[in-house]
Amino acid sequence: MKITTMLFVSEFDELWFDALQSLLELRKAGLNHVVFLHVIQREKVAMRRGTGYLKQEERKLREIADIRFIDWAETLFEEGMEVGAHIAIGNVVPKILSVAEIERVDLIVTARLKKGKLGELFTGSETSDLLRRAVKPILIYNYASVSGKVGENPFERLLLALDWSVSAEKVLDYVLALKGSVKRVEIIHVLNEKDVGKLSKMEAHKVERENKKRLDEVCDVFAKERFDARPHLYIGNTEEQIERGAAEHRATMIVVGTRKSSVWKEKWSGSVSHSLAVRSELPLLVIPADA
Amino acid sequence: MAKKVLNVEDDADIRTFVSTIVEETGHIPILAKDGEEGMQKVRGERPDLIILDILMPKESGIKMYHELKSDPSLKNIPVVMLSGVSKRTFLRSQMALTEFGDETVPEPEAYLEKPVEPEDLSEILNKILS
Repeated sequence: MKITTMLFVSEFDELWFDALQSLLELRKAGLNHVVFLHVIQREKVAMRRGTGYLKQEERKLREIADIRFIDWAETLFEEGMEVGAHIAIGNVVPKILSVAEIERVDLIVTARLKKGKLGELFTGSETSDLLRRAVKPILIYNYASVSGKVGENPFERLLLALDWSVSAEKVLDYVLALKGSVKRVEIIHVLNEKDVGKLSKMEAHKVERENKKRLDEVCDVFAKERFDARPHLYIGNTEEQIERGAAEHRATMIVVGTRKSSVWKEKWSGSVSHSLAVRSELPLLVIPADA
Repeated sequence: MAKKVLNVEDDADIRTFVSTIVEETGHIPILAKDGEEGMQKVRGERPDLIILDILMPKESGIKMYHELKSDPSLKNIPVVMLSGVSKRTFLRSQMALTEFGDETVPEPEAYLEKPVEPEDLSEILNKILS
């Protein structure tokens, strides 16, 4: 699994050129092609009573996006990179998925995508929709948080959360392909507090020992590839502990896998990647099970 | 005699503009929406001139230009660049590609920055194709 092509989705309000530049660290891992995508929301140009379709507005919005993309592209072209651009009208998630397919990208980068409050209540957020439907790794890039900018190299220190599922193997492969961009990997597994609470002391120690052994084995895989990797076993609520681990070890990015789950199951019970996508201040790299 | 002019451009309005000028100057327009389709049309249609945009989906004009000029069977097809990307960036990008081991390529026959006046484009077409 190599990362050569990256889709950079920008609405211009949240992801700027410095965000893109911070991701160019991935060139050390093989990145050589950046594709820009700007989606003009249909409501902005939709038919209005008395005026019809706002063709002039569409032209203006396309022109604005084009000027920005050309400015960004010039810098990348001069560095010898390949750059492409798509400016589309419609719903953001289907457009992202179709461009990702057309351009055969290895990574989708986007900020948190937002719908109106009413829309979110009935259909969930655009980000959740994207996480549910994408078969490509997605980086939800919250680079400008309340507490300021996240570091210059978001790939410097990863917090890799593993749940020992099939998608965890995908996560491992993907992170190993980031060699060159990553300086350190903090590998974390979170034991469920309720599950462990039901066990006898002896059984709990056994579970702890087994999980530590698995974490050590993963660290060995990374060590073979000359990564600096450290194991961490936490206990408690998964999302909370992942965030705590990220803070304690000064991670610059959280990496998780996703499992296949139905829309309804997700709506009621949530999932780790979805809730981290909503609450985490750090960039979140989500690797789908079928990536 | 009418010659074939391939316009590689992702903007439909500009494709219409260019093909109108090409027809008005007595030549035959061929259209492609991106560099990937552009290379297919070059190989299939063997145009006499290529008018090439830079920032496009699938394959950029920078890459397509480099491919054209590195292919002995295609390198003599004249190319006019028509783009919002500056000439300075274009030349630097071609130099950057040579840093990665590729051969140096010649400059294009003409470089037009958007927006272009119809008379300027006609004049260049006439000059190259006459």
